[in-house]
Amino acid sequence: MRHFQRYIYATKNYSENLKELRAKRLEKNKTHVLSQEERVFFSRLLGTIMAHHNEDEGSVGTSMHGVTAREQVFSFSVQGEDDGPSSHTVRFDDPTAKFALPVDSEHRATAFKPFSFAKPHMRAFHLGWISFFTCFISTFAAAPLVPIIRDNLDLTKSDIGNAGVASVSGAIFSRLAMGAVCDLLGARYGTAFLLMLSAPTVFSMSFVSDAGGYLSVRFMIGFCLATFVSCQYWTSVMFNGKIIGLVNGCAGGWGDMGGGVTQLLMPMVFHVIKLAGATPFTAWRIAFFIPGFLQVIMGILVLTLGQDLPDGNLSTLQKRGEVSKDKFTKVFWYAVLNYRTYVLFLLYGFSMGIEMTINNVISEYFFDRFQLELHTAGMIAASFGMANFFARPLGGYASDISARFFGMRGRLWTLWILQTSGGIFCVWLGRATSLPIAILSMMLFSVGVQAACGAIFGIVPFVSRRSLGLISGLTGAGGNFGSGLTQLIFFSSSKFHTADGLSLMGIMGMIFTLLVAFIHFPQWGSMFFGPTSDEKKSKEEHYYAAEWTEEEKRQGLHEGSLKFAENSRSERGRKAASDGSSPSTPPENGNPAHV
Amino acid sequence: MAIHKSLFASLLICLLFQISHGATKERLFSDLEKGALEVTAKPSRESVLDAGIDKLSITWKLSSTATKEAEFTTIKVKLCYAPVSQVDRPWRKTENELFKDKSCPHKIITRAYDKSPQSFEYTLERDIPTGTYFVRAYAVDAKDHEVAFGQSTDEAKSTNLFSVQAISGRHKSLDIASVCFSVFSVLALLVFFVNEKRKAKIEQSK
Repeated sequence: MRHFQRYIYATKNYSENLKELRAKRLEKNKTHVLSQEERVFFSRLLGTIMAHHNEDEGSVGTSMHGVTAREQVFSFSVQGEDDGPSSHTVRFDDPTAKFALPVDSEHRATAFKPFSFAKPHMRAFHLGWISFFTCFISTFAAAPLVPIIRDNLDLTKSDIGNAGVASVSGAIFSRLAMGAVCDLLGARYGTAFLLMLSAPTVFSMSFVSDAGGYLSVRFMIGFCLATFVSCQYWTSVMFNGKIIGLVNGCAGGWGDMGGGVTQLLMPMVFHVIKLAGATPFTAWRIAFFIPGFLQVIMGILVLTLGQDLPDGNLSTLQKRGEVSKDKFTKVFWYAVLNYRTYVLFLLYGFSMGIEMTINNVISEYFFDRFQLELHTAGMIAASFGMANFFARPLGGYASDISARFFGMRGRLWTLWILQTSGGIFCVWLGRATSLPIAILSMMLFSVGVQAACGAIFGIVPFVSRRSLGLISGLTGAGGNFGSGLTQLIFFSSSKFHTADGLSLMGIMGMIFTLLVAFIHFPQWGSMFFGPTSDEKKSKEEHYYAAEWTEEEKRQGLHEGSLKFAENSRSERGRKAASDGSSPSTPPENGNPAHV
Repeated sequence: MAIHKSLFASLLICLLFQISHGATKERLFSDLEKGALEVTAKPSRESVLDAGIDKLSITWKLSSTATKEAEFTTIKVKLCYAPVSQVDRPWRKTENELFKDKSCPHKIITRAYDKSPQSFEYTLERDIPTGTYFVRAYAVDAKDHEVAFGQSTDEAKSTNLFSVQAISGRHKSLDIASVCFSVFSVLALLVFFVNEKRKAKIEQSK
């Protein structure tokens, strides 16, 4: 009976295999003559069918050896026994069957189910964004408690401003390093290291007794914002390119919400501790234990429940020889050579950077300008950060939708529109003199700038395959750089009133957003220009394979990039469907006898 | 989304209160009668005072130059920042509009007005920040509006100032707990890491 089932399976799936073979043939050779691979396939299929009819079950000659094609039949070869299938083979014991979500050839999920915790895709998503959320809480935990801290430590305005700059500066370096760490150690250990090694810095707030100590601790806590990179990296290896904008937007947005939640959480915790009998100057120190605990708990959860890659953990896969360890110098070189890295660095600096600056200054702004109570100002500050819950995923989703119709060009235009409107509303916020107008403009500003963050990370996964981790890190670092820069220029001295600082920051953001026009992909084009007309260079494979040397290609190290290139053909937009890559009819002269 | 909507709604309600509340506040400090009360504040010792421990002996009585005495119903005594403690700290700024003024945030005592000289022994609260201070007493009328004041220093706020050192807020038990949790965090990570490397090696040797 087993044999019969195999037979049915083989014949049921032969049409899928054949479709792929035919598509490849038409694209490559543009001929109706059957290619060698197709002939081999048909002969084996024929042989098996005949063998089934002629032989008894289980006897020699009835094996599925030919049809399941464990041996290399196609030019895209895969090494090893236990590896995932290449895009052109379907194996009998297909491992894709064991995933809870539908997956592509790289075992990345093609569907996104936020309410599921299934291993490994959705679990990685939830662990990733919650870790990032926790780190945002820790980094901005001091901001709502500043009125108490400044009295305890006798801080001046410049002390507070400098500590704010320090809190986002540490992450510039850690985000840069984080990309490489993820490429080399895997997302799981990257996240866990950050969470559990920065928890001591959060706990050490209890030792702080002056401005210098306060600044150093805020600087050190800020390093953990690199969980942004590990989170985005983790989702990028777990989810397919068609939905990566939405997934990254959700993960990033829900994590960024931590900056808003902390403005409500910390005062609440502080209040409860005061009720329990502590004096204010002790209570705020105890309050910092809460973010610290959260970090340790999340670190343990990530290590016990998480998984680096869809197929397993990185160290296990590497030791089995399935995932090759890449050389850091190479990864670094290809990231640095790609000019798009720098453009994205600056763009993110004026979307995420502006968002983080606002997290640090907006509560104080509303408190001073509109004579609000501290908790009211805190609530407004919180709602800015919490808009991330829907705003950033919205940006990622908009990026994905525009890609479906217009390909990469759609993504670029979406980004430009969102980020520029964010800048316009920021200018309006600075001009607003009445509270309702200020709140309205702030909410519109928050949606614009946070959606732009989501849109940027809809583009990042396509800039490079080999150096994805490092480029994610560099882009993330750009966010922190932008935040430190804008805080330093506009909000640390008495040169500008805070209101003017906001407007000028919005204008500066809009100017830098014009850089989107310079992002050009040879295979997909840019905002104003189409893809290159060069036959060879306009292939996705050419762009992604260009990151590997000839020697490395000969060793077959670029297999992953090629798989990715094929899956990324969707970035051509509507044109991808008419390129003949998914035929629906069987081959014209698909006569099995024609061998 | 629901959280967002309810937050927005509560914000609107709050600012409605603020708008109506703020509309009437335009009373100025410069309108108050100066020196209506004679206030003295004597610290318990000459050096820098410790918050939570040291005391101030505060006395106040009606000055001979006072004219609005008939309106006085309550006396509010407050601890105020001297100019040196306001430098580079806009949250302690002196403003002429009384409702905006943030230079006297610490309440000492509120008493009904009495013609006879009053005194009060004030122990510095444990949430008083480090700084230089003086004492001011506001005379408040029945509508809870300030009408006059007196302070323990001169008009330029340069004489009879005293310094306070705040509590550190640190405790040994807190420090120890902090170290313990930090060590636990780092150790847990190392244990996991070493364990997994060991398992991977075993896997490889199979």
